[in-house]
Amino acid sequence: MRTKLLALAVVGGLALAACGNGTTGTPTGGSKQGDTLRIAIGVDPDTMDPMRQTTTTIQNIVQMVVETMVKIDTSGKVQPALATAWQTSSDGLTWTFTLRSGVKFSDGQPFNAAAVKANFDRVLDPASTCPLCGPMRGVKSVDVVDDTHVKLNLAKPIAPMLGLLTEVTFGIVAPASIQKGGSTYSDQEKPIGTGPYTLAERVKGDHVTLQRHDGYWGTKPNYKSQKFLIVPEAASREALVRAGQADVILLPPVSDLPALQRDSTVKVLLAPGDRTIFMAFNTQDSQQTLLQKPEVRQALNYAINKDQIIKSVLFGAASPMDAPMASTLFGYCKVGSYPYDVSKAKSMLQAAGASNLTINLVSPQGRYIQDFQAAQVIANDLTAVGVKVNGPRTMDWPSYLGTINVAPAKASVDMHLLGWAPGYLDASQAMVQFQSTQWPPAGLATSYYQNPEVDQLLAKANSESDQSQRATDYCTASKQIWKDAPWLFLWVQRFPIVYSSKVTGVQSIPNESFYTMYASPA
Amino acid sequence: MLTYVLRRFLVAIPTLWGVATVVFIMARLLPGDPARVIAGVLATQGDVDRIRRQMGLDQPLPVQYLDFLGSLLRLDLGRSAHTNAPVLEEIGSRLPYTIELAFVALVVAVAIGILAGVTAAVRRNSKTDLIISSLSVFGISMPVYWLGLMLIIVFAVGLHALPAAGADQPTSIILPALTLALFSVGLIARMTRSSMLEVLGQDYIRTARAMGLGSGSVIFRHALRNALLPIITVIGLQVGSLLGGAVLTETIFAWPGVGRLLIDSIFFRDYPVVQGLVLMFGATFILVNLLVDLLYAYVDPRIRYS
Repeated sequence: MRTKLLALAVVGGLALAACGNGTTGTPTGGSKQGDTLRIAIGVDPDTMDPMRQTTTTIQNIVQMVVETMVKIDTSGKVQPALATAWQTSSDGLTWTFTLRSGVKFSDGQPFNAAAVKANFDRVLDPASTCPLCGPMRGVKSVDVVDDTHVKLNLAKPIAPMLGLLTEVTFGIVAPASIQKGGSTYSDQEKPIGTGPYTLAERVKGDHVTLQRHDGYWGTKPNYKSQKFLIVPEAASREALVRAGQADVILLPPVSDLPALQRDSTVKVLLAPGDRTIFMAFNTQDSQQTLLQKPEVRQALNYAINKDQIIKSVLFGAASPMDAPMASTLFGYCKVGSYPYDVSKAKSMLQAAGASNLTINLVSPQGRYIQDFQAAQVIANDLTAVGVKVNGPRTMDWPSYLGTINVAPAKASVDMHLLGWAPGYLDASQAMVQFQSTQWPPAGLATSYYQNPEVDQLLAKANSESDQSQRATDYCTASKQIWKDAPWLFLWVQRFPIVYSSKVTGVQSIPNESFYTMYASPA
Repeated sequence: MLTYVLRRFLVAIPTLWGVATVVFIMARLLPGDPARVIAGVLATQGDVDRIRRQMGLDQPLPVQYLDFLGSLLRLDLGRSAHTNAPVLEEIGSRLPYTIELAFVALVVAVAIGILAGVTAAVRRNSKTDLIISSLSVFGISMPVYWLGLMLIIVFAVGLHALPAAGADQPTSIILPALTLALFSVGLIARMTRSSMLEVLGQDYIRTARAMGLGSGSVIFRHALRNALLPIITVIGLQVGSLLGGAVLTETIFAWPGVGRLLIDSIFFRDYPVVQGLVLMFGATFILVNLLVDLLYAYVDPRIRYS
């Protein structure tokens, strides 16, 4: 979890953002009832307010209490939740949602269009603290059509609207608790939602307990309560599940994955994720101008033995990238691979006049799974094709960001390792890395990649309301980006979850989220 | 004596002021912009500026410094940048856990340490002495981190006897307190041993023995009491390492105390909480040193402050 949180914290609001998994769904576990499911996580919640929360794991917890209009299922697809149907006007400027009827908040109040409006008014209030609201700011106003219909009026089209609505940021809490001027308007520490659980207790730094909401409209969970133990140290979380003192843990020490996989008392779920790990080239490099050539960057992509690194350095907790984004995103298409080929890399470098390439390379340490260790092997692989590598150097995260997240003229390194997770499972969120408008300091596109064709395609796709055309545009852009190789394409990180074999139905959502809603005793 | 206590308290004030100044400067020397971190990257420049204004970070440093000192005098430590709760409340909700942990660890360390040290001194150069001395060195040299994990593996994973982490069971405190105590046990035992050896060689001990006093009485009433001075110093210093050790121990054992709060706050660039905690740690040190000095006078009647 720490890695996760670390990974999330500053790479940006975008990376911070988590997708909302819905709070309803088909029961996935057995039908046995249980008392308490104990889940050890690494982060201590800063807030339980869905509007203010930005850390995926905590959002996962809040989502069991506060439901969203639409949700993502375990395969990453958008599904109805509090909204059962929706329509967009042809100009993309209004969205009308049909709401589920007969739903009640856990305080007994009815869920209806007025509740939706009250929530949108709150999160979009300029005075509210809503770190992830940015993309939703295009919503001008919200109209109550009738009790079960609500209309969102937009200033300009928001193509990934549904993806945004899966985020718990836009979850619906009981309107009585967010009356303007009330004490819980700006900060909800005990949100009341329509979800299958209610927030029963929170002891800072120690635990958060959820209690089953028996009036829940959907399928009721099997566990009477779910208790989240806050355990920052990965090795301690592993000890807890091995000692039978926790049923589920997130993020064990990766080096123990093989041992855990051999242990019959626990099960290991290497959940598919959405975080791409890569080495960004400085494609505008003025010290090492050879890196401005796509052929050189392609050659270096062939020089890295990704499969071997995943196996022996990451202990299997990743899968190689085959596109500039994770396969779990809307708009993904498989575009290819750079298979490990030393002689090809060498000859390509020679042909490009880069046989005496010197590169300085930096990597964070402890932010992504085995980041610095992987960077060392990568440096080694680069050396093997004749590149002189200075590094990997590492530094603390703020200094690291301060080094890489600068305008091109101030860039001081040639390659840097970074992870990028989209805010929600939509290509638009991954592609900000390849838009020239997103160069630092405006954004976090730290490879300073620029291809007018790609810029144009992405701009079009980002506002396209025809979803299949959007997907096509992202796919075309992906192919071009893959060829231009602004990154050393590495892998998509997996999200390891370990659980006791006495429990079944522990699942994940492919955005580094756990899904224990319908777990049950085995 | 009273004037001494008063004077010491007065001297503590500039010391605290110094701590506060250092804390203020350090927080601002750290790389990274806290307003940016709080706002998130999706935030507009306007959001960032607003937060900067709210936190007073747009003011010139001297103004920030005076504001900071002014609030301190009003015991207002500000609000956490991370959770938005008042810093005093954040610290207050965590402090009892650390006090409990440090207190239990200190009691364990003093009891075991002194007993082991006395035993080793009385049986100097015996096998017992060798074992105690080796264990003391072990205790001092073992990293808290490693030791804590070993204890978890043995007692929680292996024997299923004790909770591995958390604070919600009565037995939860055993492993973290033991881990935290072990370092101090070693130091106290070694100090007790050497101090006792010195005292046991004194004439008055021989005299006491010659007078036919029981060995228990000689050791504890005469020898130990006179050997206590350096031991008290070491125990006083231990309060510092217990607080430092608590940072690691609390992390390993998921103990919700201020040590972990400090780690989390540094991680989140939560200036107000970091400042508050470091000040609190500083004040604790100053207070403990003062108490140790006062204890000297109590233990050793030759020391009279005037």
